[in-house]
Amino acid sequence: MVASRARTREPSGGRPAWASAVVVLAGAVLSFHAGVAAAICQPSEIRLVNSMREIAQPYHADLDKGGRMFAKWAGLEKQYVLQLNQGDSDKQLTLMRALQSTAAKCTVFNVEPNADVVVRPMVETANRSGMWIVTHWAHPPGFRPFDGNDQWIAHVAVNSLDAGVAISRRLVDAIGGKGAIVALQGRLDTDPAQKRFAGLLQVLKDKPGVQLLDRQTANWDRTAAFPIMRTWLAKYGNRISAVWAANDDMALGAIEALRAAGLAGKVPVVGVDGIPEAIEAIDKGEMTATVSSDAYYQGSIGLAMGVCVLSGKIPLPKAWPDEQRDFYLRLREITKDTVKQYKGEPAVSAYAEEWDCANLWKRSTGKAY
Amino acid sequence: METQHRQGVLSGLRAGWPGRADRGHQEAGWAHGWRLWGPCLALLALCAGFGVAEPGFLTWANLRVIADSSAVPMILAVGLTFVVLQGSLDLSIEGVMALCSLTIAMLVLNSRTSLDLGASALVLAVLPGLCMGMLNGVVLTRLAVPSFMVTLGAWSVALGLAMLLSGGQPPIMKDEALRAFGQGRTASVPNLAIVAAAVVALGHVLQHHTRFGRYSMAIGGGEHLARQSGLPVDRYKVLAFALCGLLAGLAGTLESTRIGLGHVDIGAGQLLSTITAVVVGGTSLAGGRGGVLQSAVGALLLNVLANGMVFIGVVPEAQLVVEGGIVLAASLLASWQLRGRMREVR
Repeated sequence: MVASRARTREPSGGRPAWASAVVVLAGAVLSFHAGVAAAICQPSEIRLVNSMREIAQPYHADLDKGGRMFAKWAGLEKQYVLQLNQGDSDKQLTLMRALQSTAAKCTVFNVEPNADVVVRPMVETANRSGMWIVTHWAHPPGFRPFDGNDQWIAHVAVNSLDAGVAISRRLVDAIGGKGAIVALQGRLDTDPAQKRFAGLLQVLKDKPGVQLLDRQTANWDRTAAFPIMRTWLAKYGNRISAVWAANDDMALGAIEALRAAGLAGKVPVVGVDGIPEAIEAIDKGEMTATVSSDAYYQGSIGLAMGVCVLSGKIPLPKAWPDEQRDFYLRLREITKDTVKQYKGEPAVSAYAEEWDCANLWKRSTGKAY
Repeated sequence: METQHRQGVLSGLRAGWPGRADRGHQEAGWAHGWRLWGPCLALLALCAGFGVAEPGFLTWANLRVIADSSAVPMILAVGLTFVVLQGSLDLSIEGVMALCSLTIAMLVLNSRTSLDLGASALVLAVLPGLCMGMLNGVVLTRLAVPSFMVTLGAWSVALGLAMLLSGGQPPIMKDEALRAFGQGRTASVPNLAIVAAAVVALGHVLQHHTRFGRYSMAIGGGEHLARQSGLPVDRYKVLAFALCGLLAGLAGTLESTRIGLGHVDIGAGQLLSTITAVVVGGTSLAGGRGGVLQSAVGALLLNVLANGMVFIGVVPEAQLVVEGGIVLAASLLASWQLRGRMREVR
């Protein structure tokens, strides 16, 4: 199946007959026949790019740290490039295109898309220029790596519904399956916000004892969550038995509002992301649980895949089975019981095994399409 | 001749209320009153409406929440008012807030640096705001770059500096006294609301009882005329931007004491809501019309609206629509008496 698709794609894949494209195709044919491709690039030619929003927030800072950790481990420290788009999708694309004129075929992009829609033009840029790309979180529906996008190595998806379900279960357990909760949602037009909340509703459906008192959006933002929580406390007083938040930042804003009312640590709060402050709050007992996609892993795994492909240690992506090119990432639940192991910065050894070309899919929980 | 000119501009302003003298002949007394009281009426109507819909809204506990959450927007609105009165605009508010937020968090006992300056850090932390504001003013007046562009640049510069300071590890404030101040109350009034009230009072005095306030009005009403009358326009422009920067810095530091963190996004969304507050209050973006008290009422109105919608349980999906509609209605109320006049609207 894979083979036939790879073959039928060959003629159309030839587009403008660029040298890079020819090399890629030749490599693909070779890999198909021989199982393993010859090295596409010398290590000194490889360029590793992490493309993300910014680095002011812990999540993004950790993405960058993960990328640097990998680059150092692979001996490619000097070839690591960080691109920040400050929340501007056009800029994310422009920054990528700025690199296509030099050493395109040896360039690997590990992308935290600013919005789902930016994935398509970025992948198309990769297809045209010969650059390689790995994307995270979500891509536009129906636009997939294995539909002829040979330069799109893989998409590492995060199952936001699962994340929502996981924290909701913890929250419901923390109040013994009975009580009234309030929910702080993320930006309503985003996929994670909708799916995490859907996860909450799914859990509540089976728990008639838990009432959803109110829900509001705080746009992922701590300073926005604070006044909303204050307002709820004024309105509902001590009827609120727990707080659900779609991310840790809002959860921490809610905790500050609870603190002002002398309730921090007494009302269970859950979030998503696993940022260091949330981990500290869980350790202190002010927060109940969070789930993490592991920014260090997301910031490095795409680069590791790229290096494995470019060095010829694994076949070209177009020969991979579909479920290796669009898969869900296993999430880590962080609670009071497991919090110790997530405190502080992780060691390289915690990831080295997963960067090995033989273990690139160790955290996959299955296909995401 | 020159002296007479100066007399002409200033004698009208000395009367205090904006427009009483310079536009008095166009505007009947009741219309003038309407401009001042329209937003107040809108505010009262909104409170009454929410109170009827949900009796809990008008409880002391909730009014305290409103006072607390209005504090920072009010301080921002006071600062911006003088800039807008002069006919300029300051877009750097969010960046300055972020910079000062990081500054205070790193000067007090915190998770990142070994400093522990305590309450004196409050004074030091607003200095970057003051400097950014002065820089805005100086570039605007000396290099003649429009305020829109200068402050847009300053926004990025300040935000960038804040990001550098943050470096992916937002400093957590561990100074208990400062945190207690930010979240606490004095005589059951939130501390930040008391600070905001003091800033509004100070702004009011500045506007009506100092040369700075009166000249700001004159500059906004007609800069050309003000210059010809020999007013040191540039100096007062720099002052207005400095004040705006200072108050944005104060807002950033106060917000930090409340959430206990130096946060790059601490001012996210504040720029547009501050401009909205100023305009809804009845201060004209064209300059020369409006005032500090009106802006404070505008800020209060927006926060009552935000609080009330959560209180009566408007679903979040519909909130933006309701908010936009009410802001539009309030702006209409504020400028109702001006309909059909020969007024340029841009």
